[in-house]
Amino acid sequence: MRNRGALAIVGAAGIAALVLPLLGSDYAISFSIQLLIFLILAYSWNLIGGYTGYTHFGQVGFFGIGAYVGSLLIFHWGVPWYLAAAMAGFAGAAVAVPLGGAMLRLKGPFFAIGMFGLARVLEAFALGFDSITQGGTGIYLKPLGDLRPLYYVVAAVAAIMVLLTWRLDNSRLGLKLLAIREDESAAESLGIPTTRLKIGTFVASAVAPAAMGALYAVYLGFIDPPTAFAPNIELTTIAMVLLGGMGTVLGPLVGAVALSVVNEVLWANYPQIYLASVGVIILLAVLFTPRGLVNLGIRGGWLPAGRPLFRRLAQRAGQTP
Amino acid sequence: MTEIILTVDDVSKRFAGRVALDSVSIDVARGSVTGVIGPNGSGKSTLFNIIAGTLRPDQGRVSVAGRDITRASAAEICGLGVARTFQISRLFAEMTVLENLVAVARGLDDRAAIALALELLEFLEIAGIAKKWGSELSYGQRKLVEIARALMLQPKIMLLDEPFAGINPRLQNRIVGHLKALCAKGITVFFIDHEMRIVLSECDLVYVLAEGRLIARGDPNSVRNDSKVLEAYF
Repeated sequence: MRNRGALAIVGAAGIAALVLPLLGSDYAISFSIQLLIFLILAYSWNLIGGYTGYTHFGQVGFFGIGAYVGSLLIFHWGVPWYLAAAMAGFAGAAVAVPLGGAMLRLKGPFFAIGMFGLARVLEAFALGFDSITQGGTGIYLKPLGDLRPLYYVVAAVAAIMVLLTWRLDNSRLGLKLLAIREDESAAESLGIPTTRLKIGTFVASAVAPAAMGALYAVYLGFIDPPTAFAPNIELTTIAMVLLGGMGTVLGPLVGAVALSVVNEVLWANYPQIYLASVGVIILLAVLFTPRGLVNLGIRGGWLPAGRPLFRRLAQRAGQTP
Repeated sequence: MTEIILTVDDVSKRFAGRVALDSVSIDVARGSVTGVIGPNGSGKSTLFNIIAGTLRPDQGRVSVAGRDITRASAAEICGLGVARTFQISRLFAEMTVLENLVAVARGLDDRAAIALALELLEFLEIAGIAKKWGSELSYGQRKLVEIARALMLQPKIMLLDEPFAGINPRLQNRIVGHLKALCAKGITVFFIDHEMRIVLSECDLVYVLAEGRLIARGDPNSVRNDSKVLEAYF
């Protein structure tokens, strides 16, 4: 019954996502694109920060790299925006491989701050190498006449991210990543190849943000260093995962929807207190639900403990954990 | 002739000039229960961590079944069939007991890993806590789950770091029973502990460390009456 309920919710969400551009206003489509981009960023950050426990403030670095790679491909070579976004994703991965090898030697706050510093260095490069990036002037792209194709692409990527996270959460790979988060040296002592898994996750978590950077530039029709490497993109993404629940399937979804809607309502109605209100909401969430809303549901018994696949397999084996 | 599965040969380790281990040599026979005892600060945990690959010795050599593991990583040593538990429980707190076990399984598909996990929980008489979170368990339950988790690796050698510390005699006896059953299955058990009663009654061979040096080696009876041991302890 629970599976049927879940399938019905997923089906309804899928149909709503498909028909929204046909029935919704331009504002609704525009808001949805922003929400979905943040949703994808939140799911990507959740991989390395939530599952593996390597929280950091540098994902916007990959977002910025992708924004520039995509914009330059479109601007100089007329590459279609969706191909440019895919190539930006590859560029993000290509940068993440050596970067992961170097940066993941750091742990805890050193890794978090190191990644933040890296994003700032990348922003400085984007400003300084103006012969390529046009520096502070920025790159202007031809605006999209119709945002619906962009919406569908972003919605498809978001659906893939949710599906991949669900698969990860129900796999032993997901458990191994959680083991690294819980106690890395114990995990290593128990035969889990922590270095390989950390670098792989870091690279996987860089692909979608880089692609989203390119799509964000397409959406805005413009990119400059403060926009591409904006710290508030990073902080909003992390706040979404914290609010929803780190290392969970539904956490980024719950956090991204809740925070985006609240942000939008506050911004539209109380612009003068908007930023302060968002800060207060994040503070309250961290104080009262430090493991996120989804984990609160699990601890409260409203959501099942343990991953569904392992529960099902255990039940089939004659137990009911 | 007894086959030696674990060899620690002339191993020394210093921390900031202080000698933690001084030319310690140990042999562990396949299928045996071998114990290391010693007062606090005698170097037991250092020895254990060197064997498990979380510390590197300054001198000497460690080998498993003739293979040198002195410079191997903890994960590589684990891959050779050496599984360990920890002195202070290090279960993955935000995972259920079943997930703690399944997470470390090697060479098994999901179905087989879960079947083995459930079998081990049954074997250790803790099947009822399979769905509990690691953080919810009592001290004794944690000790047992740690043993189950190490057994998930289907090891040749079990390294148990103070498995009897801080638990009641009834549970101690239960663990002893489980360890004997493991030996009957051909698994070698090597442990360190303060619990003299168990070490001196259940081990085939006992090593005694004091101030980083090996001061006695032998069967429990000879160790019990060894003057150096009596001096170190009393």
